[in-house]
Amino acid sequence: MPQGVTKAGPNEWEIPVGYVPGMRVPGRFFLSDTLEAILEPGAIQQLANVATLPGIIRYSLGMPDLHWGYGFPIGGVAAFSLDEGVISPGGVGFDINCGVRLFTTPLARRDIKKPRDLVESLYHAVPTGVGAKSSEKLTPAALTEIMNKGARFAVDAGFGLERDLVRCEESGAMKQADTRAVSEKARARGIPQSGTLGSGNHFLELQEVSEIYDETAAAAFGLEQGQICCMIHCGSRGLGHQVCTDHIKIIETAVKKYHIALPDRQLACVPAGSPEGTAYFGAMAAAANYAWANRQMILHAARKEFVRMFGIGYETMPLVYDVAHNVAKIEEHQVDGHRTRVMVHRKGATRSFGPGAPDIPHDLARIGQPVIIPGSMGTCSYVLKGTATAMERTFGSTCHGSGRIMSRSQAKKTLTGKEVADQLLARGIFVRAPNEAAIADEAPEVYKPSSEVVQVVHDAGLSTLVARLSPMGVIKG
Amino acid sequence: MSYEELSHTADVKIRARAPTCDALFGEAFLALMHVMYGDDRKGGTSRIIDINAPDRESLLLDFLSEVLFVSEVDGLVFCRADVHLDGMQIHAVLDGEPFDPARHAKGTEVKGISYSGMSMGKDAKGYMLDILFDV
Repeated sequence: MPQGVTKAGPNEWEIPVGYVPGMRVPGRFFLSDTLEAILEPGAIQQLANVATLPGIIRYSLGMPDLHWGYGFPIGGVAAFSLDEGVISPGGVGFDINCGVRLFTTPLARRDIKKPRDLVESLYHAVPTGVGAKSSEKLTPAALTEIMNKGARFAVDAGFGLERDLVRCEESGAMKQADTRAVSEKARARGIPQSGTLGSGNHFLELQEVSEIYDETAAAAFGLEQGQICCMIHCGSRGLGHQVCTDHIKIIETAVKKYHIALPDRQLACVPAGSPEGTAYFGAMAAAANYAWANRQMILHAARKEFVRMFGIGYETMPLVYDVAHNVAKIEEHQVDGHRTRVMVHRKGATRSFGPGAPDIPHDLARIGQPVIIPGSMGTCSYVLKGTATAMERTFGSTCHGSGRIMSRSQAKKTLTGKEVADQLLARGIFVRAPNEAAIADEAPEVYKPSSEVVQVVHDAGLSTLVARLSPMGVIKG
Repeated sequence: MSYEELSHTADVKIRARAPTCDALFGEAFLALMHVMYGDDRKGGTSRIIDINAPDRESLLLDFLSEVLFVSEVDGLVFCRADVHLDGMQIHAVLDGEPFDPARHAKGTEVKGISYSGMSMGKDAKGYMLDILFDV
């Protein structure tokens, strides 16, 4: 651990004020000894940089999947005062509302006689990879409606069930969306890409519930041992990327006007209530809504393949939940003994609202929200539940995934895509991707072990384990 | 003139060198196209980009962001760029071809160009650049 960073408790570390000039609060992050050994110093520097931003409350927080990003580190959480604090596109990232959803099926492993055929048909049902376009082209008016209504637009158009909406964070749409703040360029990118998976670490995965840790919560979430389910990981596509690019440019220029000193230009920020801040927040919410509609359309396409191949009912495949892990939101949290509305940034971090918190499905109010943590390709994913501890300690936040440990260039030198695919196949996992390089890039070895990351958040009480999901087939973007 | 990929765990970090600043921008452009589409790229269709910015870092970031936009929206994969810098203005002529899934689906989408980790400098050997692409 770099000099100056001190242990603050089991699996918990503190970056003191002064670690970088201008810090207003300390940094805090959660790591086990195993994960500590593979943390990059760049990530700590970035976490400390966030602590210099005006109006930051309590701590600049890092989850155990913390790693080196741009602007905020990945796995970073920070809350800002609405009066004296800021909003920063670099605290959300280019892929606005990158997130994960999980749906279950009534099938068990024995029902899937030809897993390769299922993976292949899912691959063809969902446009995937670089340059993929959706089969249906949206009209500009429909795009505006998507940005306002989010997942609701897709459900109203026949791509899903009414119940799906209550199983999404924010019911699948942020009400603060302001499409006037979304440029023509962002719209031009959004029109051909609705319902597409994208590339990089985005995926659609066929999984089996392989272990239940919390019977009560699993039953409430609709999860059973041995059940086949399907996980979708993607975001707001080119539309969201363009919203981030456009507004960083505006905000980067406005920084000087508000006399904000920055250690990194990618941390460009403005007062949350300023015209520039309000415009970014409205555009970000519109892009987040596009992402929810996008995941809803992919869910629909996947469900239809299960109906076609297994003759099961569409409504027998309920959505467990949908979480956003790159987003900024206005939420109410306890600050200095008072309920206070704050601007929470989660960049590669998942909301983990505990029992009794707002915006949780009514029937889960006593359990806490489902928290979905994807593993890397070939490693297990996990479902956890939100906790009161997270509400008290991390503004209701937990980790978002496993976090990379090996660069893409190194991954390609170490392994070929075919070797990775063959190794996974030997373990009964089918991989389908547009090209072999995409497989090598995302090999299991390039990520921190997901089990270790979730164990840290479980032990710290930031979210607690409900079920483990083992991969059977992966569609890589 | 050259570029190489440096080790970066989450994203793609590129180091480029060139004798002139115009050529340096061209190298960053080639690196971006390589990351997104691989190396089998031909010419035939052109696009022109004209941009100005308050400083050189912003100019490069805005130029590459515009290349991302044009490439995605027009469905074009570029093999060459003639870049001319004049103060804080850029005039670039890009040469490329329509995206062909059979030949160009070999890379990964770039979500954005980041100010983090960007540095431009000049030494006895010429101009040098480090830049981060979010993938």
